[in-house]
Amino acid sequence: MITKKYFNIAILFMIFFILGSITISAKVDIGGEINASLVVILDNQENLSAYPQGSLDLELYIPPFDNNQIKSAVYLYPNPSTGQLDFMFKKLYLKHKFDKLHLTLGRQPISWSFGSMLNPVDFTLGSVVMDEETGSKYQDAIEAYVPLNWNSSVSLIAAFPEGSQDIKWGLRGRTMIEGYDLTLNYVREPEIDFMGTIIPASQRIGFTAKGDLGPIGAYGALGYYFKDNDNGNLAYLIGGDYSYFFEAGNNIYFQLEYLSMKKDNLSSILGPFFAGNVTNNLNENIGLILGMVNYEIDEFSQINLMAISSLNDGSVIIIPGYRNQLSNNLSLNLSTAIYFGKEDTLFGSNVSEGAQQKPKGMIEIGLTYSF
Amino acid sequence: MKKIKWFLLIGITVSILFSCLIIATTAEMTAEEIILKRDSNEYFDTAQMEAEMIIVSGGRKITKTMLILSDKRNALIEFTNPVDRGTKFLKREDDLWMFFPDAEEIIKISGHMLNQGMMGSDFSYQDVMEADKLTDLYDFEIIKEEEFEGRPCYVLEGIAREGVKVSYYRRISWVDKERFIGLKEELYTKSGRILKETKANVIEEIEGRWVPTNSVMENKLRKDTYTEFTITQIKFNLEIPEETFSLQNLR
Repeated sequence: MITKKYFNIAILFMIFFILGSITISAKVDIGGEINASLVVILDNQENLSAYPQGSLDLELYIPPFDNNQIKSAVYLYPNPSTGQLDFMFKKLYLKHKFDKLHLTLGRQPISWSFGSMLNPVDFTLGSVVMDEETGSKYQDAIEAYVPLNWNSSVSLIAAFPEGSQDIKWGLRGRTMIEGYDLTLNYVREPEIDFMGTIIPASQRIGFTAKGDLGPIGAYGALGYYFKDNDNGNLAYLIGGDYSYFFEAGNNIYFQLEYLSMKKDNLSSILGPFFAGNVTNNLNENIGLILGMVNYEIDEFSQINLMAISSLNDGSVIIIPGYRNQLSNNLSLNLSTAIYFGKEDTLFGSNVSEGAQQKPKGMIEIGLTYSF
Repeated sequence: MKKIKWFLLIGITVSILFSCLIIATTAEMTAEEIILKRDSNEYFDTAQMEAEMIIVSGGRKITKTMLILSDKRNALIEFTNPVDRGTKFLKREDDLWMFFPDAEEIIKISGHMLNQGMMGSDFSYQDVMEADKLTDLYDFEIIKEEEFEGRPCYVLEGIAREGVKVSYYRRISWVDKERFIGLKEELYTKSGRILKETKANVIEEIEGRWVPTNSVMENKLRKDTYTEFTITQIKFNLEIPEETFSLQNLR
């Protein structure tokens, strides 16, 4: 078995070997984004604290050659636990497009998003809306993608997740019928050692659909989760989106979705930030409602408001945001998060002992420069 | 001397008759013939272009650059400016797909979003990617003839055909009488409200056809805002492989 430790090194050597043995006549370019922001937190004791935050995304743009594609993207950030500059490869892969098969080897993003804000049947579970924080979609993996026609394909993935010596498998089929984008997928998660806690092996089968119902965009997902020697359980998501155009030419975009699933599986959907509260006084089945409104003020600026609520305990997170593109390469971003809920509720700021503490609210204001 | 006078008279008469014949022929063109000539000039089998889009609002300007590949029914756009680099759109008939480069995911965009401004511009996705010929979408009639910026034009009114999906119910087009290209167009709702106005600023002859290489789209519902679209390079009738307009090519 290939161990994960040597996987990236092997890919790096392969890329250097290929780069050295071919002539790339086209221009190689480098680009990315610099982010600088100030985060202000209001904690449980109503104390305010603030700290600066910065990061750099760097990507090397190598033009495709002879049906080959090389991608390399690295994320540099100050590690809060060590205080040192740290980095994470988002992409370091080699793709070769054979006639009937596209083979991708290396660190790569694997995302099975279909347009929802939460995705209970993604390859790597973790809320789509919160995934920027975890980066969990970037995996060391081998992907075999077989295109069947312009809109249909089958892909097989073997990934090497952190905390496991076993392979994580994924299989996804995608097609379009009567204007609906349909996917059917299967994932086999290996047993994972997460900071000393053993997460047992599990499997899931998922189905998603997205299309239009008149003027409304509609989508849904159905997942079946099961483990060895355990009863399976279902999860489902339904949602829709709609645009309204004002007489002044501006438009407002709405998105609303509902997710129902067993609480045991919810922590993997919401990510580690909320995992502590999931085991608290919640019913066996959890219903989450998510809403988003995005209003375009003018060509360069927009405000948005997102809210996530647990229907079981009434706790809510409200996330207002504002974005303004100041110039060709510079944008101003403002985002806040306010938590409402009693003690031990899913999104409440006060949690039981042992769970990750959450503040009452936070605000982040920052600038992003693209180059 | 008499012979020369006689030949001169015949020559002048023939010239006058010939000119009258040309005038009569063009004057007698129907609205459908004019739009067909415009369609045959402006629409192509395949094209590959590099373009720049300058969005202006108040005193602010933002520039976006892109590569566009299109055929009669489909279009593929890839943005190349730093902020949007790698973002791609694929339009297959009435469906729009978007590729997000960071997560390398492909999402089908809901139909209602086709009317939104493309990447914040005054051009909607439908405006940029519309591949249908105008004659397939609208019934036209000539409403007048007038000069527009020194060029003689036919002014035509197009009303959307029943049962056809279009972004604008009514359009008034100023079509250049000699080059058969749209110089100006006003786009209206069914209630008669003007939504947008587009003007061709620069027209060049490329590969034997007249092409508006610089045009401006003004959103009439907003103040002090317009988008300038410039084609920096264009090639027609290239062989584009079938799989170009596919989800596999977006990845």
